Amino acid sequence: MNNLKQTSRQANNPDIKPEEFANQEYETGFVTDIEADTLPPGLNEDVIRHISAKKNEPEWLLNWRLEAFRHWLTMTEPHWAHVNYQPIDFQAISYFSAPKSKDDGPKSLDEVDPKLVETYEKLGIPLREQEMLAGVAVDAVFDSVSVATTFKGKLKEAGVIFCPISEAVREYPELVQQYMGSVVPTSDNFYAALNSAVFTDGSFVYIPRGVRCPMELSTYFRINAMNTGQFERTLIIADEGAYVSYLEGCTAPQRDENQLHAAVVELVALDDAQIKYSTVQNWYPGDENGVGGIYNFVTKRADCRGDRAKVSWTQVETGSAITWKYPSCILRGDDSVGEFYSVALTKMRQEADTGTKMIHLGKRTKSTIVSKGIAAGHGQQAYRGLVKIGKGAEDARNYTQCDSLLIGDTCGAHTFPYVEVKNPSATMEHEATTSKIGEDQLFYCQSRGISEEDAVNMIVNGFCKDVFNELPMEFAVEANRLMEVSLEGAVG
Amino acid sequence: MSDMALNTAALPGDAGVQTLRAQAAEVFARTGLPGRRDEDWKYTDISRISATLGEAWWSPTPSELSETDFSGIEGLDAYRIVFVGGEFLPEQSDIPEGVTLQSLSALLADDADERSHCLFRLDESAPLFNGFLAANSALASDGLCACIGANVKLDKPLYMVHIGNSTSHILNGLMLGQGAEATLIEHFVGGDSNSAGLNNIATYLRLADNAGLTHYRLQMEGTKQFHIGRVEVKQAGNSRYTLHAVELGASLSRADIVVNLAETGASCDLNGLFVASGRQHIDHHTRIDHNAPYCRSRESYRTVLDGRAHAVFNGKIVVAEGAVKTDSAQSNGNLLLSRNAEIDTKPELEIYNDDVKCAHGVTVGQLDEDQLFYLKSRGLSEEEARQLLTFAFADEVLVGMDSKLIRRFIEQAAFSKLPNMSDLEGFLE
Repeated sequence: MNNLKQTSRQANNPDIKPEEFANQEYETGFVTDIEADTLPPGLNEDVIRHISAKKNEPEWLLNWRLEAFRHWLTMTEPHWAHVNYQPIDFQAISYFSAPKSKDDGPKSLDEVDPKLVETYEKLGIPLREQEMLAGVAVDAVFDSVSVATTFKGKLKEAGVIFCPISEAVREYPELVQQYMGSVVPTSDNFYAALNSAVFTDGSFVYIPRGVRCPMELSTYFRINAMNTGQFERTLIIADEGAYVSYLEGCTAPQRDENQLHAAVVELVALDDAQIKYSTVQNWYPGDENGVGGIYNFVTKRADCRGDRAKVSWTQVETGSAITWKYPSCILRGDDSVGEFYSVALTKMRQEADTGTKMIHLGKRTKSTIVSKGIAAGHGQQAYRGLVKIGKGAEDARNYTQCDSLLIGDTCGAHTFPYVEVKNPSATMEHEATTSKIGEDQLFYCQSRGISEEDAVNMIVNGFCKDVFNELPMEFAVEANRLMEVSLEGAVG
Repeated sequence: MSDMALNTAALPGDAGVQTLRAQAAEVFARTGLPGRRDEDWKYTDISRISATLGEAWWSPTPSELSETDFSGIEGLDAYRIVFVGGEFLPEQSDIPEGVTLQSLSALLADDADERSHCLFRLDESAPLFNGFLAANSALASDGLCACIGANVKLDKPLYMVHIGNSTSHILNGLMLGQGAEATLIEHFVGGDSNSAGLNNIATYLRLADNAGLTHYRLQMEGTKQFHIGRVEVKQAGNSRYTLHAVELGASLSRADIVVNLAETGASCDLNGLFVASGRQHIDHHTRIDHNAPYCRSRESYRTVLDGRAHAVFNGKIVVAEGAVKTDSAQSNGNLLLSRNAEIDTKPELEIYNDDVKCAHGVTVGQLDEDQLFYLKSRGLSEEEARQLLTFAFADEVLVGMDSKLIRRFIEQAAFSKLPNMSDLEGFLE
């Protein structure tokens, strides 16, 4: 419970200008000019055939795409989310864009287009120094094609497969065929169907039985070419007793046109397996008038297929103009565990409708949901969650907490938690609060000699701590920095 | 949609009312009935209404019950206003002084009186608007219309009892003048007869500045009956509204409670208790709009489900942009006693303003093992301990009732529905 007391902070402290915080410019906005091999805008079966041919895909995958596309044509765009945006013209989007490099693709980092490397360096991603500095293998996605993969050897030794999904389709077709679409079927929803039809890249991870992945796996996504939607598809499979921690981080250059990002992430955890999936999302949010910015419509779902499997989603969402994202867990196996930790920040004209679904099917399944929303400026924030306890889920347990912090009187925070319980042995708790930063807390800090800005930082940090604690170390640092940067304008 | 055509021709009312009825019938024909694809009806399948009552389920039917079938709440001293089969019985009723009180039928019979128009006017953009409300406006022929004058404090509650197992459409309007205070009891009763109907009832309440209304809504319809209700409250400055909604009867019961805190300082308390068993389906959708500064709302609902009962609770609180210093809290507790019972609950918050304090909480669970152990260690049997804890869980929302008499009456009625609760009689004293 957070007992921030409501006060009229603004009225009494003219120094604090929420609108400044709200109008914080996007820091990493620049465009790298790289010749991209881009398809003309539009979507039809020929485009899908082209994508499939470009990627040397087997016939079954082409058929799978076409089936998804045909189903997509019968679907209508969903409008139930608490967000407002201009209608998307799906025929105005270019569905394929690959950085132009040698046809065979780079064999090592040295072969990578130096401009790409430069871009990553501007963003502070030490691609060359990964091995030395961070100990993290990066499967970097620049627009739609993976351009560099490191640490292959070390991972291979452990038996871990970590590669672009297009490579996995060629190298491990039986695994891909078995699992892809088994968690998020092609007909699942409008954007998942679209993604299934046109996805161009993404990551594939397979952790064999009993293996603990020796390092944290990481993919940095980056949208670069003008007008190309990013349709990533990620598939992670943790076989019996395996463990993997996967990091996903996003940032995009500034531009004026809305871009659609409709990714699909599927996680499969078998008996005793554990998957930890962390996201820091900092895409371009549009300017203060709501022009531009990324549309982030993502389907993320985990299937705890085995007994005692565990999946943990952690996300820090500060970017995108529109976020529409519900990382979910299907707790099928007995004693399986699902977790969702989220911090979402909306400022300027950003809108986020995010939350999770916990579907309890197995016995003694447990789920924890901690969601922290911060809204400022004209930001709109919604938590939308579902906790469903099926008939067979004996002694299922859920704990949900969703808190919202409001900064400024033009923002909004909304909560839509669905609870469906069909088993009497279930224990389910849901708690939500909404309030503004307490003036007495600010006053207390200031009376101890802490500046207003630091005090706001401390309070927000404390508000988000439950979630940041769940992030892997590297990300926790980045998340803290992101919040601090965002909050800089909030005071003075 | 010709099969959805309502015949409003023979119904009472002046030309103005007839026009409004025709408009409502047109809205009904156009919108039809809500289905499970409508978000607000996702968990409530109303197909069993037409499956039981036939295609023209809305057609009013005569009641097999009469006023002698029900004696009322024992010992309650109140102004009785009796309806049988949706029809007002003046000779059975007792009208208090200082109150302009009329039945809707009497009001409609007087062509010169245009006050009825506002009751029949439909606002399709109203929260939770649906086809049943349109049908009500098109077909309602009776109900209660009352104005309580400024600063009048009614000495006894208005006790509206609806007896019947028939189909009827009832429309009530109650206005409280400045500083007026009253207690309204709406009591729906029906027997265990085999015939069934639909009670479609809309109640509009208007509270002027500083008015105070305590509203008991006791739904104890017959086991085969269908009940669709709507309560719409509009509150002016510093007015207070308290609702005690109790849902015990009916095969399917749905109520939409819509409260508009329209002016500064208004406050409302909504308390609800559902006790359902068998194949009962109970659904409450509540919506509280904080449209002005310094308003306060409290909402507390408890559900006890046995058998194959299915309950739905959807509590939505909307805080508008200028509604600063809003203070709102909502809680919903659910107890499932049987393997086949189901609860679907959704406490929603929509907040467009930072100067608020809003909280909500939901729990679904079973009886606490520690508490059971404690009671057993004090010599109670397992069964007794369970009964006592179930009672305590449900009783928590009844504690706020001003009238001890009504509270006892509800306790008896509620717990006689649950198995083996009769042993608890001793605790009720």
